Amino acid sequence: MIHHHHPSPVNPDRVVVLGGSGFVGRYLLSHLKTLEIPVVSFTSGELDLCQPESVENLKQTLQPTDSLVVISALTPDRGRDIRTLMRNLSMIEHTCAALTEGACAQVVYISSDAVYADEANPVKETSCCDPSGFHGVMHLARERMLLQTTKAAKIPLLILRPSLLYGPGDTHNGYGPNRFLRTAEKDRKITLFGNGEEKRDHIYIEDVAQIIGLGLLHGSEGVLNVATGTAVSFFEAAQTIVDLWKGQAEVQIECLPRSNPITHRHFDITETYKAFPTFQYQSIASGLQKTFALIEKGNG
Amino acid sequence: MIGFVGLSHLGIISSIAAASKGFQVIAYDANAALCEQLSRRELPVLEPDLPELLEKSQAQIVFTSDVTKLGQCNLVYISVDVPTDANNQSNLTVLHQLVAAIAPHLAPETVLVILSQVPPGFTRTLAAQLQETQGDRRLQIYYQVETLIFGRAVERALYPERYIVGCPNPAQPLPQPLHELLSTFGCPLLPMRYESAELAKISINMCLVASVSVANTLAEICESIGAEWSEIVPALKLDKRIGAYSYLSPGLGISGGNLERDLITVKNLAHEWGTDARVVDAWIANSRYRRDWVLRTLHSEVMSQVQNPRIAVWGLAYKPNTHSTKNSPSLALLEALTAFSVQAYDPQVVLNDRPARLTQSETALAACQGSDVLVVMTPWAEFSAIDLSQVKATLKGATIIDPFAALDAQKCREAGFSYFRLGSTPER
Repeated sequence: MIHHHHPSPVNPDRVVVLGGSGFVGRYLLSHLKTLEIPVVSFTSGELDLCQPESVENLKQTLQPTDSLVVISALTPDRGRDIRTLMRNLSMIEHTCAALTEGACAQVVYISSDAVYADEANPVKETSCCDPSGFHGVMHLARERMLLQTTKAAKIPLLILRPSLLYGPGDTHNGYGPNRFLRTAEKDRKITLFGNGEEKRDHIYIEDVAQIIGLGLLHGSEGVLNVATGTAVSFFEAAQTIVDLWKGQAEVQIECLPRSNPITHRHFDITETYKAFPTFQYQSIASGLQKTFALIEKGNG
Repeated sequence: MIGFVGLSHLGIISSIAAASKGFQVIAYDANAALCEQLSRRELPVLEPDLPELLEKSQAQIVFTSDVTKLGQCNLVYISVDVPTDANNQSNLTVLHQLVAAIAPHLAPETVLVILSQVPPGFTRTLAAQLQETQGDRRLQIYYQVETLIFGRAVERALYPERYIVGCPNPAQPLPQPLHELLSTFGCPLLPMRYESAELAKISINMCLVASVSVANTLAEICESIGAEWSEIVPALKLDKRIGAYSYLSPGLGISGGNLERDLITVKNLAHEWGTDARVVDAWIANSRYRRDWVLRTLHSEVMSQVQNPRIAVWGLAYKPNTHSTKNSPSLALLEALTAFSVQAYDPQVVLNDRPARLTQSETALAACQGSDVLVVMTPWAEFSAIDLSQVKATLKGATIIDPFAALDAQKCREAGFSYFRLGSTPER
């Protein structure tokens, strides 16, 4: 599903990051620093993509040999309504307006697995895109806007669709490992819906940064899911956290009545094996262990 | 006298099979070197029992590049395999060119039978074209379904289950030379209209694909829930609605080229006529997914444990007893392993274009030398005879991935290997 313009890795001259202060952005900047790749990063305060003026600012910033990574988005916790959707589209409308031919060497867009139909299972890059919520609609529309624009501008576009993220420093508090870690620390309790049977593919944030890095080094183009290929139940994730606390504190798992039917989401990550054969995702046990270690040190 | 035109796999097998029944056969191909090679009994295809059959039949068959010799035949088969491209689309140009080249040399009223793989509608169109260009010769055009199986081609040619013949008028008796030949094989003859026969061939292949897809889908569930597909298969085969010979062995997707070509033909027909063939898309998707089973297993069991592993691969052909690598899962796997050191071995296939980190070993055990894992991609019989203690002594790691269960699972366990095969719970 993706092909590399650089079969052997080559550091880009410079990477411009839109949304460098968010969860993914911070880890990406840290990773690019270890790779010694020059970076220009914008927060929404420095470059407000919702404003038409951002077009000119971005145009002036971008150099033909730059790689542009677009992470900026108003996440669902900032609103799930039509207004948020339209603002998100407006951000990419302005980004696209800056992407004239030769504007940069590559665009990497951080999308989401929310673009897929709920029943797609196992999810692969060719699975049906039929998002059920505005968050997925937003990412799919943005993908198409960027695809059309970069095609016309002859700029390679890499679309990455991560599954559920977790790791130290996540500001979101959605149902899953991050929330479980927080409530285990604060309340010594993890609350599950039903018995936490739903299986999901949770991805450690450092792995997302590394995959983006690989896409930049290889000048990759196409669509790739970012998932480990191993789905675990919410109960298993919760139990792993309970085990991590053993010896220090007793964490209870509380099960609430279920209000929604059980659904699962698995990923077939064969394309990742083909695209980046030597890359290995961390297991959820390993990722939770790392996150827990940082929580213990007060950095979680 | 019977003529065969086009000496690819299908033409070679079919012409020798007809000769073995005592008929005088002219086997024609424009490639003179190929004809000389065949005259010396040097076979360019690998099929069990074929050399013996040719030896037995050599007095009845003449391989020639002289097209005029076809004028002696009252029955001529067009027997060239229709090539397919990377997308499994047939290239019928070869067939049209061949018919145009030989038709002027045929005797009047020759029975011309298309044995090549053609889509529905082809024979009727061809018959109309020949009527226009060769009308005065009154050629009689028929289509006959081939059901050759790579690796079992001789058996299939000598002992067919039935003959399906596409006719201009199925109510009329078959022409005498065609009837005489087919009757020799002692199986039912099923005359039908051209389009029915052409679609019958595809229908057979779709049933096979459906069975394989069922096997693959359920075998994968077995791998997850602790069931054993090989225990389930006998129960299915004893069900008369399914049958003792049904294709229920799980595999690494559909390969070989023939089934894939017919899948594409059905998709094209459905697209043209607006019929619902979405199940075909599902079969194709399942086939592609299962093809990568070994790659996924390698990553989950080996790459996640060993940095820069060395991988031994036994088997390159798409199945045993053939040198064909068309859509071979082994070659697809090798394409995804270019970042790793691979030592491959196959009893018949020699790879000419090899990636930098792929070496081809002289023996199966040599491929294992220093490798972290052994992958058996083609279940050649010779692999099952190899002493596992020697494999154990040669292999650096202790993992065997054997999708087709070419090796004895119990012996692999006893030898201390982690063992992975299709349709079975992983044994770590």
